[in-house]
Amino acid sequence: MHRLGGVGLAAFDRQQLSQRSFAELSSELSQAQVDLLHAQLDQFRTALVRFASTHRDSIRRDPNFRHAFQQMCAKIGVDPLAGPRKGGWWAEILNLGDWQYELGVQIVDVCVSTRERNGGLIEMGELVRLVSKLRGVAGGVIAEDDVIRSIKTLKPLGAGYEVIDVGSGKKMVRSVPMQLDEDQAVVLAIANQEGGRVSEQLLVSRKAWMPERAKAALENMLLRDGLCWLDDQDEVNGVAYWVPSAMHWDE
Amino acid sequence: MSLSPHTTPSGFLLPSIHAAPPFFTQQPNPATQAIVTEQWSRLILSYARHRQLFTVRVEDAEVTGGEWDEILRNDRINRRLRSSHLAYILEQMAAKNQLVYDPPKQSRSALLYWRTPEEWAEVLHEWASTTGQLNTILTFYEIIEPPVPSPLSGIPMQILRKAIHILTKTNRAQIIAVADGEGVRFLPGNAGK
Repeated sequence: MHRLGGVGLAAFDRQQLSQRSFAELSSELSQAQVDLLHAQLDQFRTALVRFASTHRDSIRRDPNFRHAFQQMCAKIGVDPLAGPRKGGWWAEILNLGDWQYELGVQIVDVCVSTRERNGGLIEMGELVRLVSKLRGVAGGVIAEDDVIRSIKTLKPLGAGYEVIDVGSGKKMVRSVPMQLDEDQAVVLAIANQEGGRVSEQLLVSRKAWMPERAKAALENMLLRDGLCWLDDQDEVNGVAYWVPSAMHWDE
Repeated sequence: MSLSPHTTPSGFLLPSIHAAPPFFTQQPNPATQAIVTEQWSRLILSYARHRQLFTVRVEDAEVTGGEWDEILRNDRINRRLRSSHLAYILEQMAAKNQLVYDPPKQSRSALLYWRTPEEWAEVLHEWASTTGQLNTILTFYEIIEPPVPSPLSGIPMQILRKAIHILTKTNRAQIIAVADGEGVRFLPGNAGK
């Protein structure tokens, strides 16, 4: 999204900067043209504000509408996330800043309360489901997109919230400041394909790993990081490792 | 494959974690095992309350056909709790006073406190009161095997004794010697005394 340096509406909102921009423009355009441009942008902005307030409820309730609106804002260089902190008027028109932060708090809530079970790694689908449950019917529908955007706003917290792509369209959300090494990412990807279950033999046969490498990766996840659980009654391999965040839980 | 709650033939609702294969393995990671222990403790106590079971034995994990099969095994996923794991869990529960080893000085068999002795004391006094048996002398046997089933039916002697002892401290019970055993007289009053 364009911010201070760009030619989006946000830039023109700030008095000083707009003056400076006009000064730059005037060397190429005549004053009349600048005035016309300014008037048109004002008109556009009024229309946009009216649109935003008319459709505020739809934006809050419907993720598809919300997605389209965010896309439109991105195109014209407006940041609807400019929250109360920045004193942006978008926040007042839309109250979207509050909505986004509220969602962020709920995401943190779910991540923290499931952390014991999954070691700080939760599958995106499950996160969306649990957050939706927390919000209830009144909260409206939440989509994966909304969660991803909200997690971006959590970055300044420095708590390590991050979306991880584990392949085949699956995403996981990490909420502890832990470095997932590449081998662990591979294990996670396999876990997600296998409904949560991984074994040394699976890694050897599917990824052509040496047994020692497979064992080391799994044992690290198990003992050092608490990311998986041991199953010593596995019918196929005797021992298997289960990643709770990749298992499908029906609460 | 989705992990969901499951209702047993006896009507007990098993949580979804009971359908997860690794739940039946003792975990090497201490933090993870703490969760496993906590979940198993809760499960054991609620199942005991559901079936009114008072005793659990380490060997209940090994033999089939016992009272604890619905909990200690999950045949749908071909898993069972190992006796060493159960022994560990019972040890943790003893440390939290959720059960007491009985007979004392061994750790293979225990009495479960799905009600604490204090809670049993109140249930006992309440029963004596509402069945109009205050101020009459009752034998311990009559309490454990009443003609009309009561919340005290089948209660182990050790727990009954503890509950009565708690009531004596607030003057709501007196132990009486009777011809063929032990007896007690319940007196009116409430825990506040």
